[in-house]
Amino acid sequence: MALARVDHLSFAYPEAYQALRDVSLDLQAGEVVALLGPSGGGKSTLLRALAGLVPHFHGGRFSGRVRVGGLDTCRSRPADLAGTVATLFQDPEDQVVFTRVANEVAFGLENLGTPPAEIGPRALEALAAVGAAHLAERPVAELSGGELQRVCLASVLALRPRLLLLDEPTSQLDPEGAAAAIELARESGAAVVLSEQRPERVLDACDRVLFLQDGRLGFELPDAWRPREAELPRAEPSGMPVCTLDRVSFAYGAVPVVQDATFCVGRGEIVALVGPNGSGKTTLAKLAAGLLEPGTGRVERSGRACYLSQDPGRYLVRERADEEVALAVDGDLPRARRALASVGLAGFEERHPRDLSSGERERLALAAVLVAKPDLLVLDEPTRGVDPPRKDELAALLRAKATERATLVVTNDLVFASEVADRYVSTVAEREQAVA
Amino acid sequence: MSPAPAAALLAALAAAALLADRVASVAVIAAVLFVVCLFGPHGRRKLYVAGALLSGLAVFVVTPFVATVGWHVIWSGPTVPVLGQLDVTREELHNGLFQGLRLTSVALAFAAYALLLDHDRLVQSARFARRSVLAIALATRLVPTLERDASGLVEALRGRGVEVTGVRGRGRMLVPLLAGSLERSLNLAEAMEARGYGRPGATRALQASWGVAERAALAGSVLIVAIGGLWL
Repeated sequence: MALARVDHLSFAYPEAYQALRDVSLDLQAGEVVALLGPSGGGKSTLLRALAGLVPHFHGGRFSGRVRVGGLDTCRSRPADLAGTVATLFQDPEDQVVFTRVANEVAFGLENLGTPPAEIGPRALEALAAVGAAHLAERPVAELSGGELQRVCLASVLALRPRLLLLDEPTSQLDPEGAAAAIELARESGAAVVLSEQRPERVLDACDRVLFLQDGRLGFELPDAWRPREAELPRAEPSGMPVCTLDRVSFAYGAVPVVQDATFCVGRGEIVALVGPNGSGKTTLAKLAAGLLEPGTGRVERSGRACYLSQDPGRYLVRERADEEVALAVDGDLPRARRALASVGLAGFEERHPRDLSSGERERLALAAVLVAKPDLLVLDEPTRGVDPPRKDELAALLRAKATERATLVVTNDLVFASEVADRYVSTVAEREQAVA
Repeated sequence: MSPAPAAALLAALAAAALLADRVASVAVIAAVLFVVCLFGPHGRRKLYVAGALLSGLAVFVVTPFVATVGWHVIWSGPTVPVLGQLDVTREELHNGLFQGLRLTSVALAFAAYALLLDHDRLVQSARFARRSVLAIALATRLVPTLERDASGLVEALRGRGVEVTGVRGRGRMLVPLLAGSLERSLNLAEAMEARGYGRPGATRALQASWGVAERAALAGSVLIVAIGGLWL
């Protein structure tokens, strides 16, 4: 008998689009299923329906039936399903309740009524499983994005659920960390539904694939979603240097993050900056863009530098999309509208930035920095939460005007790096083209 | 010390400041709380302490102009529509100082609570009204979260070559910050429900039992409130 069964499920959010259309599927105990599909295609909604959050938390028009572990999700509250189902949400920062890591992992166990003597050991065991035992007493606010994602994964694994729902669990992890996280989910023994935008990270580990587009479920993977080989390009540095870092070191307080880093980015080239989580990639990017001053060493820049943060939520200051983009060009709205059109957001000018989907927010943020026509463009994880077709569009957009500027792309996405960059530098000393 | 008795001590000091009748008594309480706040993390305490002191100062400055108390006039000003004739009396200054110190004391007690207490342990040690304690702990986290969001917004703007300067520039950050925190609170509520929050039969992780210091602090809290009401 199936652990979970979805029968002819259709759902629309209140006063919004149809998110799911006549979806039916069975999930067997212990199987690992990859859920792929474009942004806004309904992946997160389907996961929420399996957790009972749709319709209980969101409201909306719901038809069909979802049963998990024998419970009808329309009749059981999400909290009642919590022992059976555990959900890891997309944004780790929005799901943290407590301020210390060990307490955060213990929170779900306490809610489920776990005997008090078992709570601490189980929380530590889950942290150890994700390689984060050393973080147990750390304040959550001090963790990097990748560390926080591991802690959130530990929080759901600690519950020992029968159905594990993971919504882009590796978006902030480096390739090794992502592989380890997926392997952990697989080893947990639960049925796993794994929503992802990077098929190459999940397909090998999954028993089958579901593809969700426009709310409809398919079982065939379109060609654009087939895994691609990542081969990092190794061209020689070229072009007049626009930004040069010479033996740069930087520390946050007493913690050194960058030590003796040296590299340059020339006009006309796209350089990928790769390396594991916590190795100082974002700090290097900020140093290059002039947002941080080096502790020692020298940073030389010529012309205007713009930096795209990895969090698109930071580009939601104004009430209209065109005004948001025009901020960088002294309110020049026609120019801002052209920039919006260049990232595929023509017609969105008057929309409030907060009304945009996550994928649209990503593109708005990109327009907000491209509009300034910078001499140095620094992009920090620009493909986080971006599906493969959109990544191709982004790569084409960056390549189209690459000759006009120097571009530094910080990324964990080696496929994207291999497709967009002319060469790469790494924060890992052992590699050939290391920077630190 | 366990955070529950420490929170009780701070609440007692705030209550004593509200119950006391003498300016000197409230000033001493405010001074004690100020010193306590200085033990907070260096980077964060500035915002809290400055907020507390400025609130008290604002009350001290505004009170003489809106109150009409006393007859020892120190300064007479023009007649303003609605408010009438502006004047400042010795009694109004005294009253303004008293109310300003009271507000400062309460704000400093909150600052010490926010800066120094382990809110996680406070929630976990709550033997009753755990939901309310959790709500307060989450609300307390709002300030550092807003600090982080604000610095993220400013950094993203700097990344576009836009410098945020002056009161007006910073004021423009308030609406996006508020909207962002509302969005986050919805996401957090959803995540909490998915993790079984609100389900009957919840337990809590084992806590260290209270020692002499904790019991003494709790007794001291009751004593401070009593002294504040009866003698200060």
